[in-house]
Amino acid sequence: MDVVENPHDVQSADIVVGIPSYNEAKLISYPAEKASEGLVKYFGNKNSVIINCDNHSTDGTREAFMSTSTEVAKMYISTSPGVKGKGNNFKNLFQKSCELGAQAIVVVDADLKSITPRWIKNLGEPLFDDFEFVAPLYVRHQHDGTITNNIAYPMTRSLYGRRVRQPIGGDFGFSGELAEVYLKQEDWSNAVAEFGIDIWMTTTAMCHNKAICQSYMGRPKVHKPKDPGEALGPMFTQVVGTIFDMMVRNGPFWNEVRWSKPTAIYGFGLGEIEMPPAVDVNVERLYDKLQAGFVEYQRTWKDVLSPNVFKKLSEVIALPLAGFEFPANLWAEILIDFAVAYKNCVDSRPGLLNNLIPLYFGRTCSFVIESESMTIQQAEELIEDQCGVFESSKPYLLDRWMETS
Amino acid sequence: MKKILIVDDEEVIRMLYSEELEDDGYSVITTDSGHGLIELIERERPDLVILDIKMAEHDGLDLLQDIRRDFYNIPVILCSAYSSFKGDLKSIAADYYVVKSADLTELRQKIKMALEGHIPPEPSK
Repeated sequence: MDVVENPHDVQSADIVVGIPSYNEAKLISYPAEKASEGLVKYFGNKNSVIINCDNHSTDGTREAFMSTSTEVAKMYISTSPGVKGKGNNFKNLFQKSCELGAQAIVVVDADLKSITPRWIKNLGEPLFDDFEFVAPLYVRHQHDGTITNNIAYPMTRSLYGRRVRQPIGGDFGFSGELAEVYLKQEDWSNAVAEFGIDIWMTTTAMCHNKAICQSYMGRPKVHKPKDPGEALGPMFTQVVGTIFDMMVRNGPFWNEVRWSKPTAIYGFGLGEIEMPPAVDVNVERLYDKLQAGFVEYQRTWKDVLSPNVFKKLSEVIALPLAGFEFPANLWAEILIDFAVAYKNCVDSRPGLLNNLIPLYFGRTCSFVIESESMTIQQAEELIEDQCGVFESSKPYLLDRWMETS
Repeated sequence: MKKILIVDDEEVIRMLYSEELEDDGYSVITTDSGHGLIELIERERPDLVILDIKMAEHDGLDLLQDIRRDFYNIPVILCSAYSSFKGDLKSIAADYYVVKSADLTELRQKIKMALEGHIPPEPSK
């Protein structure tokens, strides 16, 4: 790390709260305040510190964070100027937490608007009860987190056999021991250095057979949700690229996994559920992008997909928007075919991932249409059904993976 | 022979399940509380745990989280006299749940599926 500001001269800590950021001057004070309140209230008998791990922001994030009034000591660390990426911030946090001898590390997003002090408790406390990785569990609107719902959750669940509902939730807890494991990994790619970090951390914990639990946050995640068809950004290729990279690396592990197992739950009974704000998605735009993608990429799709899958996809493409349906089993087989192609075409992987985006829009369009009039609970059941479809597709994955090995 | 661990503080339930499941060809061990449960599982390595939720001294849902932490691969079937426990989020850490009944048909079905490692097949409404 290039910059360290440690005005309280913190040299050791039992628990660290990390807040990764890049140009979050307007929002970072709120999670910093709540983190401090949570540390004081629930971990008052432990040494603690809040660390802003930043990408050398130019909007005054550092000043905003350091001037936030907190009872708990603060520290600012940063990558070198010009070095961006959430993963790079995390790498600095892993290193600093290990230097401080932290037993528990909690990370929360800098743009969180719904964080409460209890989030710090729920993400941190299991780490003092022999759990090593804590993933968040919160109620989200069914149209928020479409990469999670349609790719990250069903893929990690079917591959690695652990049901972690928010594998890229952004808010996690992990032990100091696991931070050391993270630092020792040799598969640090450009995607992991950016938005691939969340799925990489979750998957690495799974592949090291770490004790994992999910912690119920009690409030919905409220941050900056986006219409997936409008602002996908680089996140899609970084997350999916990391999932595929880890499939290649961890083949011997997931080859042995057949069905998934539930994960421990930390927290409390349901009580009253606070509903998250609705997320509007423009289905016409998603549908149009699928159609445009077919025109542009159909030759590649024909090469990548098995003949039967391409035939079924062609039938789906021909459907009008009214009555449009992109079935979950077709989507699972498409992802499998792309993962196999990714394994085999080392030179053109970024281009391959871009080819997958219109198909993701198609599946998302179908999911939004299907879940439009559903309650959040009903949509959750739909997502669980989709996971069952992915797990049932595992033999197809094994066949395709083996035939090209 | 598959080994099943029954955790229930009601003696009559332990006896009923033991007799019926042994007749079905399973090896059965029982315990009447959660005291030393993790050590018992470590020692006996059961293929499946049938866990009562409401016990005098322990909350089965809390024990379930301990089992998941240390032995995430062992299937667990939650048993309760009431179906209201499904409202507690912690119950999703179980593979299956059954409401206690003298008719063991549903329990037998869930045991078979759990031992085959199959995901819960209940379709959404």
